Amino acid sequence: MPLLTVRHLCVSIGHLQPLDGITLEVDKGQILGVVGESGSGKSLTAMAIMGLLPLIGGAISAGSICFDGTELVGLDERAYRAMRGQRLALITQNPMTSLDPMRTVGAQIDQVALLHLGLSAAQARARTLELLGQLRIPDAATVYQQYPHQMSGGMKQRIVIAMALAGDPDLIVADEPTTALDVTIQAQIIQILVDLVHQRGLALILITHDMGVVAQACDKVVVLYGGRVAESNTVQNIFAKPGHPYTRALIGCIAQTGQVRGSLKGIPGVVPSVADFASGCRYHPRCDHAQARCQSEVPLLQANNAGQVACLFPEGERRG
Amino acid sequence: MAERLNTTPTKLLEVRGLTRTFTSRNGLFGKKRVMTAVADVNLDVPRGQVTGVVGESGCGKSTLARLVLRLLEADQGQVLFEGVDLASLSASAMRRLRQRLQFVFQDPYSSIDPRYTIRAALLEPSLVQGEKLSTQAATERINSLMAMVGLNPSLAQSYPHQLSGGQKQRIGIARALALQPAFLVLDEPTASLDVSIQAQIIALLEKLRQELGLTYLFISHDLGLVRYFCDRIVVMYLGRIVEVLPSADTPPRHPYTIALMESTFEPDPTKRRIITRLSGEIPDAFNPPPGCAYAARCPHASDRCRSERPALVQQDGHELACHHPPT
Repeated sequence: MPLLTVRHLCVSIGHLQPLDGITLEVDKGQILGVVGESGSGKSLTAMAIMGLLPLIGGAISAGSICFDGTELVGLDERAYRAMRGQRLALITQNPMTSLDPMRTVGAQIDQVALLHLGLSAAQARARTLELLGQLRIPDAATVYQQYPHQMSGGMKQRIVIAMALAGDPDLIVADEPTTALDVTIQAQIIQILVDLVHQRGLALILITHDMGVVAQACDKVVVLYGGRVAESNTVQNIFAKPGHPYTRALIGCIAQTGQVRGSLKGIPGVVPSVADFASGCRYHPRCDHAQARCQSEVPLLQANNAGQVACLFPEGERRG
Repeated sequence: MAERLNTTPTKLLEVRGLTRTFTSRNGLFGKKRVMTAVADVNLDVPRGQVTGVVGESGCGKSTLARLVLRLLEADQGQVLFEGVDLASLSASAMRRLRQRLQFVFQDPYSSIDPRYTIRAALLEPSLVQGEKLSTQAATERINSLMAMVGLNPSLAQSYPHQLSGGQKQRIGIARALALQPAFLVLDEPTASLDVSIQAQIIALLEKLRQELGLTYLFISHDLGLVRYFCDRIVVMYLGRIVEVLPSADTPPRHPYTIALMESTFEPDPTKRRIITRLSGEIPDAFNPPPGCAYAARCPHASDRCRSERPALVQQDGHELACHHPPT
């Protein structure tokens, strides 16, 4: 049984339902990529797993989140708090919002171990310094005493990763952890995350809009569109034989080496907001293969090429 | 007085020895500190081409973009547009010339006045130039601009907050095109957009370049995108040009350019990279190292690199500033 299994998860905020039947799985030692454009429901999925929906007035209206045998849906806040930090950790996009500007970063990382592992102050400090070393931070003892404003964006993101690791969690959810960073720093951070997963046997959910990052780092991929799963498969299958036209279009948004100028098309139209999702298949207004049935019939997630796809006319079965 | 220099007609714009420093103080009575954002940059922008400037935050690419259009004044050096030194122009002559030189900003959210309708935002350039348009002529202008950037003309009555990021960036481009320019500086025009929208905007820029015969200076941190979109690639590091690739498929030789290339992930899981060589970060611009600015991160760095800055040397159109280029 996988470490985390999310089944038919639906989330509502007021009368809106931004997530509609999300299903995904991730196991130890695996990186699951969750991809889609902004507004596809990636971050909400992360918040739902972390039990943070009440912060934005959201609630899980249906479905299940099963983590290592425990059902997280309906778990009370006290029990969830014990999970967060120690078993589940979140890395957010903007490291500045995750760090307290008034305290040294060392103290902030220590706090996680003090709270969750019951270590003494000296033990926590030693552990923090060891973690900083593992994250290839040079001169860890100096960095330990610094404040967030004294650091570059890449260094701050490493501190946030160290905080996520400090409680020795089993699952890390990283929500666009490198979007705000320069490419060389992005490459370093992605490599650090990949190494951590393999060395520690962590499970990682990597949320991103960048198919390049997915191809580089992930083992499995779930593609979201309009709060629903469009396709899920192994990373090899997703790129070699995308079943959903949206998956193919997303891959086609990134220039490959040697790609001829003028051949990059993008996806026509705009990302729908939750208030005006299309009927039937939510992607049909932007889909170049859409047919009349797509406007009225909601495609169900079904087996396709060793994975699953939610398309009435998946690639491979399509004619003409 | 505009100074006319001898230039070959293929260069639309030339940058010669451009330098700009900024000063900062540590608190009110602190010591004054000086950083050189752009140092002795020489650059040709051939007519009808896309010249890409690539580098990470703090490399001076946005400062260079602003210097080129005199949105910032240079400390030293010249920018020649069709042979005319921009710094020699009076404010009014510069304003007239700006019809031909336009800028597209990175952030479409903050580059359009939120209190202007799209129509007013698109008419502002002609207003500034003192052009008198009848209501009908203005409407025709708006309709053709909106069509040019692929937007429905009915959106002209909207306010910026009613548009998506991609639509706003199209308005940013339409506004830059309003005065029929010859040259556009594009400062990370897609950096704040979703990848799907980014590809749309790049496709639009390519279409406009071909239809209108435009010349672009394209600033970006994304080497993959620059290699796709640009004819020539200028690589900057800590305020200086370290390499100029004469074509997009020229193999890079500077260790920094190679590192940038290795940091770009292809959308293909069979081409995974192992990132081991990259370490460290860009040095403090207020306290730059004496030698090659990249030496601290470079796997090939020698003592010479740490003490002596390599000059930018040209060979067959390929310019390189490195003591030990890997062979």
